[in-house]
Formats: sequence, C-alpha cells, structure tokens
Amino acid sequence: MATNGSVPTVTIRIQRFNPDVDKKPYLQEFQVKAPPGKTILDALHEIKEEQDGSLTFRRSCRHAICGSCAMNVNGRHMLVCDAPLREHLDRKGVLTLRPLAYLPIIKDLVVDRSSFWEQYLRVKPWLIPPENIPEKEFRMSPAEVAALRDAEHCIMCGACYSSCQIIALTKQYIGPHALLKAFLRVLDPRDSAPAERLADLDRGDGVYRCHTIFNCIDACPKNLNPTEAIETLRKLVIKRQAFEAARAERQRRLDQPIEIVGETPALSGGE
Amino acid sequence: MRIFLMQRWSAVALLVFLTLHMVVVHYPPGHIDVDRVLERLDDPLWKAIDIAFLVAVLTHALSGAYMVITDVQRFNVYKRVFAWVGAFTGMLLFIYGTQTILAF
Amino acid sequence: MYRSTGFIAFVLRRLTGVALVIYLLLHIWVIGGINSGAETFNDRMEFLGKPFFRLLEIGLLAAVVYHGVDGIRLLIGHYFQVTEYRRGLFYAVIVVSGILVIAGGVPILLFALEG
Repeated sequence: MATNGSVPTVTIRIQRFNPDVDKKPYLQEFQVKAPPGKTILDALHEIKEEQDGSLTFRRSCRHAICGSCAMNVNGRHMLVCDAPLREHLDRKGVLTLRPLAYLPIIKDLVVDRSSFWEQYLRVKPWLIPPENIPEKEFRMSPAEVAALRDAEHCIMCGACYSSCQIIALTKQYIGPHALLKAFLRVLDPRDSAPAERLADLDRGDGVYRCHTIFNCIDACPKNLNPTEAIETLRKLVIKRQAFEAARAERQRRLDQPIEIVGETPALSGGE
Repeated sequence: MRIFLMQRWSAVALLVFLTLHMVVVHYPPGHIDVDRVLERLDDPLWKAIDIAFLVAVLTHALSGAYMVITDVQRFNVYKRVFAWVGAFTGMLLFIYGTQTILAF
Repeated sequence: MYRSTGFIAFVLRRLTGVALVIYLLLHIWVIGGINSGAETFNDRMEFLGKPFFRLLEIGLLAAVVYHGVDGIRLLIGHYFQVTEYRRGLFYAVIVVSGILVIAGGVPILLFALEG
C-alpha cells in the first residue's frame, strides 16, 4: 500500500467486459483510498461514482442478507459488502475482483445465474405441508430445529455454487445450494414428502455427483455446510421409505406439546 | 445410485484384497518370485480369491472411470453410452482375466 | 480456481485413479501371457524384473497407497461428521501415505539396486 498522508491508497484490479464493445474480458486498475472499515463494496461505489460510471455490479442491501454482491475476490468467493478492503489484499497489496466463476458474464461483474436458479427449482424449494394443518402452530422441539444446522440461513448468494469444481466441469450437477435447500426441506418436520424429494435426488447429477471437495463450506458467507448436508442426504436416500414412514408418524403429533423423549427422524438424520 | 454404491462397496473390498495382494505377492522376499506365484495359484482357494479380487477391482476401476468421464459436460450427455461400454468392457476383462487365472 | 486442501485431494485422487486404471489394463494383459504358455509368461516376468521396472513399482505403490488412504478418509467422512477437521484429515492422509510409501518403498529400492 502506498501511503498518502495517513490514509493508504490501494490498487484494485477489476475484470471488465462489455459484450457490445470488447472481444474478451480484461483487467482494469483503479486506485482507491483504504481507511479502516471501508468495504470492497464501498470501494466499488466510489469507483463508479468518481472514476468510471460504466462499472457494473450487483448489490442491494449492503449488510450481507440479500446475496446480490457475491463475487470472486483474489480467487475466493465472498460477499463484498461484508469484506473490509484492507483485509483482502494479496501479498503485493493488490485486490483483484472478478465475477462469480464458471457462469456466463453479462457485463463486468454481473453474471447470468440461470443455471443456478433452474437447479434450485428442481428440488421444489417450498414446503409441502401435511393434510392436517394445526389450528394454531406447528410444534417442533429445539433439537429438531438444531438438526437443520442453520440451513435456513442460506441467502442464495451463489458463492458455494461458483466455488464448486464439479460445477466448473458440468452444469448438469444440481449444485450445493440446491442440495442444501433439499436437505432443509427433507429434515423439516412439517414437510410431508421426504421420500419423493429423496427419490428426485437419487440420480447421477444429484447427491452422487458431489466429490467432497469442500470448497462450498469455505466459500459460504453464512458458515453453512452443504457438504455435510449432502452426506446426510446420501444416507437418507438409501432408506427413504422408512424415513417417510417415520415422518408420517411424527406429523400425527405436530400440533401437540413437545414431549420428545427418544429420537425423532430429524434428530438422528433418519437413523 | 447403484454406481455410487458399487464404487463404495468395491472400495471396501479392495482395501482388504489389495493389502492381502501386496503382502503376499509383492513383498517377500523383496519382489515377485515367479515360482512362488505359480505354486500359489495351483491352489483353487487362491484362484477363487484372485477371481473375487478381479471382480472388485474391475467394478471399482470402471465405475471410477465412468465418474471421471461423466463429470465433464461434453461427455455427460453420453452417460448411458459410457455406462454400457463400461459394463461390456468389464465383462470382457472379467472373462479374459478369469480364464488367465484358471490357466495357472 | 480455488486450490483448497479438498481440491488438491480431489485432483490427486483422480490422477492416481486414472494412472491405476491404465496400470490395471496393462497388468491384465501382461499376466495374460500365461494363456500363450509358460515360456511367454516367464519372458514377460523376466522383462519386468529389470531395475527400471522395479523402481516404477515404487510409483505404483505411492499411487495405490495415496488413493486407498484418501478413500478411507472419504469413508470416514461418510459415516462421521468430520468436515470441521477437513484440513487436518488431509494432512493426516499425506503423512500416513508418506509413511507407508517409505516403509514399503525402501525394500523395493534396495532390491532394485541389488539386481
């Protein structure tokens, strides 16, 4: 970092590509001041407002909940609204920004996420409620909720999807994001169709295409664990009929006070 | 998926078979002694073990090769073709290999 | 491309796997020499007894050991929740493989240098 008085200046290299004008992407350098606490997204806004108005990127909430601003920072995928500029400089003090990997580029840092969303829809990412919906509320024990391992925190940012080396090889693979969502629904005590969901995943491009590379865990800004979810799904796919029977049994008591003494299907991952 | 389970089961079987194979064939007294091989393979029990070993290794190798190939988008569309080619190759190699073992 | 320990393990597993498939095909063909008679078989075995091939055997040992030990790591991951220790497990695979390859490779090396 070069110092200019007390606030250092850093170099940011951003991958640019305007399909109307450019033949292929190229890296463009910008200089920005880097006071403590300034995020990479702040820097992008500053560049767009003061240096190059044509710079294009996705962003919305600025506080790591919408998932819009996931991009490739020095080779790793993360949310840039949540990333302090100073903490992500490489050894030469430079920050390199590229769009999410392995997806077609629309412009600059904006990518076409169609395959991401199509695969997501394949797992039917909505609750299929039981017929006997309780009058007041569905009752679940804290342990049953804990078994979901925070999977509901997923903000669909795409960091895991773009970090996955299998996605790099083939877009037929359903992807860690979809499998995490499927895991959430399968283990949800309110969901009444786990066997059908598990049958859909029992394919060469479903749970069995994951090769446990773990990049998804490293990339997730919410510290979620798609690989563990996929391993659990793999175990459940094999015994899906038994799991659905246990789920049907559990749903008979969904509106009753919790008296969980032994194991429920969700707690033991179906065992 | 059957292929995934076949891979895992054959892997576990190979952990046993391969350890046995390395210790019995490749080690004492330091490298392969052809006379000892001929003597060992005279015994029908060893022939049976080696045939089972052959089945395990062909299953694992061919299902592994299938996974590697179908991971690539370009080849993914021909999944079925590769699956049948793999099964057919496996059958051929099994027949040739078993014939070889029995020839000792 | 993000080169995590998981990625390196994956690439090594694939490379050793492909190498072993090729080796397997060659192995089946070589041993198949017995079908043409004991003399063909013995000729092939003598050819493979040369020091160069004995040294290649150490490479074979390394490939088999790495592939197998990494495979054990995958089996452990399937039955137990170990993603928290994923980096440590990878280093353990490297260390265990290294020990087994050295323990197994030294006798081969000595024998190859003798002959």
